[in-house]
Amino acid sequence: MIKLENISKRYEMGEITVSALDGISLEVGKGEFVVVLGPSGSGKTTLLNIIGALDVPTEGQVHINGGNLSLTKKANRFKFRRETVSFIFQTFNLFPSLTALENVQFVLDMANEPNSRDKAMAVLADVGLGDRVEHFPHELSGGEQQRVAIARALATGNPVLLADEPTGELDFKTGIQILELLKRQAETGKTVLVVTHNREISRIADRVVELSSGKIVSDGPPRTGKAEIAELQW
Amino acid sequence: MVNWNMWLRWSWRDLRARWLQVTAIAMIIALGTGVFAGLGGQEKWRVDSLDESYERLNMYDLRLKFNDDTYVDQAEFEALGLEELPGVEALETRLVTQTQVDASENGDDILVQGLLIGVDVAAGNPVNTLYVPDGNGRLLADTDIGPEKNIAVLEWKFADHHGLEPGATLELSGGHVVDLVGAVHSPEYFQIIPEEGFFIDDSEYAVVFVPLATAQRLTQHPGDVNNVAFLLEDGADAAAVQAEVESRVSESFPARGFEIDLRDDDPVAEILYSDAENDQVTWNTVAFLFLIGASLGAFNLAGRIVEAQRRQIGIGMALGVPRRWIAFRPLLVGFQIAVLGTIFGLGVGVGLSLLFSSLFETLLPLPYWDLSFYVPGFIRATLLGVLLPFLATLIPVWRAVRVPPIDAIQSGHLVAKGGGLSWVTQYVPIPGKSFSQMPVKNLLRSPWRTVLTMFGIAMAIALLTMFVGFLDTFVATIEQAEDAYLHEGADRLIINLNSFYPSAPGMVPAVDAEVQPGGDKQAVDSDLLVMPDPVGDLVALAQGDNPLLAAAPETALFLGGRLIAGDTDLEVALELHDMATAIWRPDLVDGSLTLESGEPGIIISEKAAEDLGLSVGDTVQLEHPQQSDEAGFTNVVTEVTVSGIHNNPLRALTYMDSATTDFVAERLQIQGVTNYLVVQPADGVSGDDVKRVLFEQHGVAAVQEIADISEAVDEALKIFTQVLRIIQAVVVFMAFLIAFNSTSISVDERVREIATMFAFGLRIRTVTRMQMVENLITGTLGTLIGMGMGWIMLNAMLVARIEEQLADFKFEVTVAPLTLLVSLLLGVLTVGLTPLFSIRRMRKMDIPSTLRVME
Repeated sequence: MIKLENISKRYEMGEITVSALDGISLEVGKGEFVVVLGPSGSGKTTLLNIIGALDVPTEGQVHINGGNLSLTKKANRFKFRRETVSFIFQTFNLFPSLTALENVQFVLDMANEPNSRDKAMAVLADVGLGDRVEHFPHELSGGEQQRVAIARALATGNPVLLADEPTGELDFKTGIQILELLKRQAETGKTVLVVTHNREISRIADRVVELSSGKIVSDGPPRTGKAEIAELQW
Repeated sequence: MVNWNMWLRWSWRDLRARWLQVTAIAMIIALGTGVFAGLGGQEKWRVDSLDESYERLNMYDLRLKFNDDTYVDQAEFEALGLEELPGVEALETRLVTQTQVDASENGDDILVQGLLIGVDVAAGNPVNTLYVPDGNGRLLADTDIGPEKNIAVLEWKFADHHGLEPGATLELSGGHVVDLVGAVHSPEYFQIIPEEGFFIDDSEYAVVFVPLATAQRLTQHPGDVNNVAFLLEDGADAAAVQAEVESRVSESFPARGFEIDLRDDDPVAEILYSDAENDQVTWNTVAFLFLIGASLGAFNLAGRIVEAQRRQIGIGMALGVPRRWIAFRPLLVGFQIAVLGTIFGLGVGVGLSLLFSSLFETLLPLPYWDLSFYVPGFIRATLLGVLLPFLATLIPVWRAVRVPPIDAIQSGHLVAKGGGLSWVTQYVPIPGKSFSQMPVKNLLRSPWRTVLTMFGIAMAIALLTMFVGFLDTFVATIEQAEDAYLHEGADRLIINLNSFYPSAPGMVPAVDAEVQPGGDKQAVDSDLLVMPDPVGDLVALAQGDNPLLAAAPETALFLGGRLIAGDTDLEVALELHDMATAIWRPDLVDGSLTLESGEPGIIISEKAAEDLGLSVGDTVQLEHPQQSDEAGFTNVVTEVTVSGIHNNPLRALTYMDSATTDFVAERLQIQGVTNYLVVQPADGVSGDDVKRVLFEQHGVAAVQEIADISEAVDEALKIFTQVLRIIQAVVVFMAFLIAFNSTSISVDERVREIATMFAFGLRIRTVTRMQMVENLITGTLGTLIGMGMGWIMLNAMLVARIEEQLADFKFEVTVAPLTLLVSLLLGVLTVGLTPLFSIRRMRKMDIPSTLRVME
């Protein structure tokens, strides 16, 4: 599904070159729930952005769904993002002038999906927001906003979900609800990559990729064994 | 202690961070302050220059004009001793007659109407003194006086337009050729306004000055004068002198009608002074609108800067910084933008000042121009330019520093703002898909920004509509006049005769000693000169195998007069035609051409009816000339009934049916004569052909194709159109700057939304299209509001002008559909296309960083 070969990413900051990723190689299969763990500055978000075609590596190859993203033109990367990956952000990034329903409907309309309204309603109901569809983002709680963001990502039907600190803005209880939602997506066959610095979250992952200073320092199941969501606490 | 340097550096960084928006607002401020500074002094320039020019050229204080075709003997007039009256410094007797001027040169056909003015060169031309600009030849001199000498100087604007230089010759009515020795300015002709009061281009009217004796000889009025200009001493009582002159002239020439004008009544001076004043009001309005537009833009930007600094403001609050210091930084930014714009504006002002001063010198050639730097204009511009935009930044800053610190400092989703008016869409469904609805929803989400942007654009479009509306109104008025003149007999020519002649041909032999073949001029006693027979001559032109005219000329009368109704009176030009046979008759909006009763019936203009409070069937006093003896006319008053109201917007035009009443015989006492002919060219003959032949006819003072009026107007409108193009460009630029500023702020404000769209695979062109739709909506609404505001301002300014300056015309405030369409397109397209300028910024957007911005 996702195959990274020797990915490096360097930034020129004046006369200094900062290496965000340094020779990363990684493969993620369909339906896997992977947590990318690491402290601030370890390169985890850069990794996510490269997989999501928001950024390009300085070196290395990115293969997603059999296609080589590194060779894809800029215009085709838009298409890739439309059809292959969906993002969930820490700060939700909902469109403030659209209601919850319209935020979800937006991506469906973009893809020229028929009956976009009904489909959006269904997805929102799936994430437990069936009774909040006509509310604007500022009328929703943080957890509700993030659920709208997940619904928006799910509505695309794209096979890869990329979540960057999806619980970072939320309290524990709400965060748990969000993680449940994401976990359920992996169970339905989507590939889910969650970037976080919260080690507790990594306990529910199928696989934990730990980064430090732009390098993978460990890759495997959770160290303490896989836990159920109900066991989490932070 | 306050570290000023730190604050300045900090605010300077804020400026640099938004340099594009800052530049856009500074440029709008520059336009406003530039217009204020550069043109703030134009009224003073013009008034001072006019005062000085009139003073230097001894502009008359009183002017006595005898009625048309009324003359007095120069020696008899001088014997009145008016020069010795207390308060009179000097007087000059003159002879002023209409003439045709043929200035054709090198194949260019220049055949125009004009005036021949005999000035008292022998007395040194003490009043209305002529002035020769450098390089334009010389003035008339004593040596130019003589029986064989036809030396003339020509009014400068006409000479300049046609490139007529000293050494050229002109042919005047009657075939007289004069030699030009100079091109001159005359205070009575700083602007050309013919007696009829209709608009005419400088290039279509020639004023020729010759020594008085030459004028008397060329017009066959030896020893006669008909126009006297008085120069009064400083502090003299003009009204007292006027009364004394009126008394003495009436007593000595009881049978001669005349009128005395004061300098303040001079139509040219009146227009030039009121133009200067009204133009200043217009420019001030323009500058204000620019500055208001700039202020709205500054308000928008300040709002955005404050929003972006929200957390910094909160941190300041948390650190215990006093509110006034927290407010200081954004205010300093507003102040710096205002100062920056004003500095640009002062530069623009200097440029405009230089541009317009040279334009004034070209458009209104005066002998003296005072175009000194107008300091008060620049001071006023500086104050307004700095204050207005600065004050506009106060509101958002004031609001920002009043929020509780906790609200200011928090980040993430907790700062999610209200949706503005987004809720409206829940009640008013918007068609289309969600991303098609987004532009409308975005506008509703920031209603203040939308309104400010809309009004900023509205200011620009209001300016455009107002200016174009001015032009449209004038054009519509002129077209109405054209329709009135041309609705029948459109190919006709009107001929002013230089005197009254028998209206039946052959009553007097058409003999003129000076042009008799083989005639010996010296042998003919001037007393024995026989009047020419222009009617007979023109009848002959309508006969033969190849007639020049389609039919014998229509004989009519053209007289000056005055309508008096109660306390109101106004001057009129009265034409008397036989309405049953006339080539052209006035087009009536009410009443009829004649009264069935056979009483004198008069046809007046709508404007005259309005001003005098008259309608069909009302009676009105008509003051008109009445022949008193062979040498002239006196004025009498006759009560007449309004039989009809015509549609020509020129107030003065008044008509009467000469055939159905005994008005001509009993009241004018000039039965059987004419001074005004109407002819039509024969098939295949052009108006120019007729003009050229009539030019040779004796007794003909002026010939004009009626269709020439529109050509003269078109010519004169060219300059307005050029000015309009410049204004359009400036206004469009301003609308663009406002829209650019607003779009740029929107992109800035919604940068995360845009990044999110990109993250979900929306293309730049799709996002740009959404922004364009949003701008199109703002642009359309702003343009519609602007057109409404422009219409209101147009009405207000035209009403003011009509009352003060344009009372002689009936104006219907008009904005042509094409004008509205152009305004709409310019406004909507300019604003709608502005997002294209944000494409580069979106292309260069760092999507991942933008998505992670914590607000």
